[in-house]
Amino acid sequence: MAVMGNKKSKVSDEIPSSSMADIAFLLLIFFLVTTTFPKDKGLAIVLPESEETVEVSQKNILHIIVNMDGRVTIKRGESQQEQTVRAADVERIWRQDVTENPLLIAAVKTHPEAPYRFMIDVLDALQSAGSERISIQMLES
Amino acid sequence: MALKSGGLQRKSKASHDIPSSSMADIAFLLLIFFMVSTVFQTDKNRNIEWAEAEATEKIDEKQKNILNIWVEPNGDVYISDALRPLDQVSSIIAPLYRDNRNLVVSIRSDRTVPYRFVDAVQQELVAAGVVRVVFATELERNITRERR
Repeated sequence: MAVMGNKKSKVSDEIPSSSMADIAFLLLIFFLVTTTFPKDKGLAIVLPESEETVEVSQKNILHIIVNMDGRVTIKRGESQQEQTVRAADVERIWRQDVTENPLLIAAVKTHPEAPYRFMIDVLDALQSAGSERISIQMLES
Repeated sequence: MALKSGGLQRKSKASHDIPSSSMADIAFLLLIFFMVSTVFQTDKNRNIEWAEAEATEKIDEKQKNILNIWVEPNGDVYISDALRPLDQVSSIIAPLYRDNRNLVVSIRSDRTVPYRFVDAVQQELVAAGVVRVVFATELERNITRERR
């Protein structure tokens, strides 16, 4: 019997490399499965068909006029009464008005020179309020 | 030496198995080849600032059904990385829409662009018969709204 310290260990010194490829594939498949690509996001809307014209009674229309400076003018149907509000208030106004008249249509009319984001703010407010009947137009001078 | 039947049954020294130790290397090589040679069809990123909206939703549509129209702050309209005159947009999109009825058009417009350009693009889309349109926006966080 030799001295204890000199005994050769039966365990191999090397890290086993035969399963390395399996580990690499496992990692690869894990990342393949967990990767998500960024999706397109935005406000979806359905435009009317080109020949489609619908006659709508004035009392069912909520006119929402977007001005150049971002202020929003609200006009209800035929009444000449105007109300100037912020874009964020449109959500509350729509919710109030649509409970009174479920057939209401929001007509968003934007000034030609108004920055696009003001129109988006109003559209955002309407969609946040769950509105589906939206008409988008340009304000005729 | 006692060879039976003239040594015909002599054991070959070559292994019967196909060597499998390099299989993983071959697989990785193929994988890397396909990774490198794959190109995604994407538009060049235009330098635009997104409009923000709280109601922003993800568009659940296959990438090949989405067509991007970029509107730059000066009113330039780009479709598939090419500058297009506004009045030709409908004639470009109409055949695409005829081939693919599921087409969704994403209007990617700068937040400062005057609204008449966006409206003109919309009129062109209506003329081309496209009905499903998305105004691309960034999700607005509540903090930014309070700060305003």
